[in-house]
Amino acid sequence: MSAWHRITALARKDAAELLRNPGATVPAFLMVLGALFPGFLVVIGAPMIAGRSLEESGDFAEEAAQAIASMPELAGLSGNALIQAFLFHQFSLFLLLVPVVAASALATHAVIGEKQSKALEPLLATPISTTELLAAKTLTPFLFALGLTWLAAGLYIAGIVIAGEPGVWRTVLGPRTFIMFMLVGPLVELVALQVSVIASSRANDPRSAQQLTSLLILPITAAFVAQLMGAFVIAAPGLLLGAAALAVLNVALLAIGVRVFARESILTRWR
Amino acid sequence: MTDLLAADRLTRAFGDRVAVRNLSLNVQAGEIVALLGPNGAGKTTTMRMLAGLILPDAGIITIAGTAVSRDTADQARRSIGLLTETPGLWERLTVRANLLTYARLHELDDPDSQVTRVLDQVGLADRAGDLAGKLSKGLKQRAAIARALIHRPPVVLLDEPTSGLDPASARHVRDLIGELRRDRRAVLVSTHNLSEAEQLADRIAVLKTELLAFDTPAVLRTGGEGIEVSIEFEDGSRHLATVKQLSEVADLVQRLVLEGRRVVRVSPGRRSLEDVYLSLVGAEP
Repeated sequence: MSAWHRITALARKDAAELLRNPGATVPAFLMVLGALFPGFLVVIGAPMIAGRSLEESGDFAEEAAQAIASMPELAGLSGNALIQAFLFHQFSLFLLLVPVVAASALATHAVIGEKQSKALEPLLATPISTTELLAAKTLTPFLFALGLTWLAAGLYIAGIVIAGEPGVWRTVLGPRTFIMFMLVGPLVELVALQVSVIASSRANDPRSAQQLTSLLILPITAAFVAQLMGAFVIAAPGLLLGAAALAVLNVALLAIGVRVFARESILTRWR
Repeated sequence: MTDLLAADRLTRAFGDRVAVRNLSLNVQAGEIVALLGPNGAGKTTTMRMLAGLILPDAGIITIAGTAVSRDTADQARRSIGLLTETPGLWERLTVRANLLTYARLHELDDPDSQVTRVLDQVGLADRAGDLAGKLSKGLKQRAAIARALIHRPPVVLLDEPTSGLDPASARHVRDLIGELRRDRRAVLVSTHNLSEAEQLADRIAVLKTELLAFDTPAVLRTGGEGIEVSIEFEDGSRHLATVKQLSEVADLVQRLVLEGRRVVRVSPGRRSLEDVYLSLVGAEP
């Protein structure tokens, strides 16, 4: 209970600082817009501008039909609704960029802010343990990024309800989406947080640390492009496999993070 | 007298470089000890070891009766208040919010009233709602001292507490340190300011990787050999002598008079602490 008390004491302080530094959250909010925009542009905007539905243009019809085999939730749909549902599922992967960017933006500020204000040494002189310190430094960014990810998912689904063909939104409310936002999203976020914290121990400004974390965007983008090109479809089982890999990666990063956050490391090696 | 802080033969190296070697010192309840030394002498490493932030490679630290080890360091830190070289406040938060966080980290009962108490103690009650970043350097230092004292630690470690402060702020901080003595805390002050050390400290430790001297200012000035006396003669010349006891001064003067010297003034001969310090650390005056 004491440990939790100390963790929340510091996390509350980080939340209070965050409220007074809204600039730190700007990249996260921009990422929400950036993640929502491409899906609706391709599925709704482009056909409206072209004056032809996706079915009429013939784009993605073959990929959508093939996807039914691995995504049975699409089976009840046909024509334009099937293509829309297929594409909305593909573009939902983009939303995983929200936890990466949000977690990275906030965690780097939370750690580098302490370095810049030279507040770590007095903090380390309290009874807080290094593991508690690491947990506290990730708690506020984690909750904020998770909330933002779920907000983005909610907006995405609401947009599909409003703008999509009838029945399309129901397919998005299946296990695949649930796994993506309840399991893969938080795990991706934890990876981003831990990489940010580790990078922050060596960097002296948030941007430098975020550059390293931004590398995490690459595998997500690559998976998205491969899906769209028809190389594979990431269905629920694939997401579960990915979640397992992310869990293992998180354990490894935690071990590194605890070492990086050791008192001696912070006092003698952090620059 | 009770040693609240005791260091016994501490050694700490970073790679091949030995920062502190075989350092032993103690601070008693109600005592202020000044730690003097040139840059790179190992003062900060010493403070960090004593604060339980880094462990010594060898030697034993005892804080309020508890030997500090990897297992007990978290516990030992509850008995220590550390003022770091820079205030290290969270500048976007108010002074009160800064201190409240520390009160919670120390798991104090009724953190709000503890914050009020310590703000009163350092004379910052009327600035509690100000953002820490808006305070002057002197007020930031007072807020940092409040942070070090919020959990009423029996041992207080102050790293350069008046560095960079204007004379009035430095005076205020020195007064606060004096109050800690009256509260029976054990206070160790790391400083470059020799006159401050002389003014504040009951004992002075001179460190240059190893402990070069550790005694009261008076003994350090005499080199432990007795009492220095300055005798001035009518012709303007001066004679410096060292006696073991004050009663020897009369004999000394009598002997000089019998030798035909005309003595006009006898006063305590003071080698300055600066002279002592420079001779100890081997620096050019």
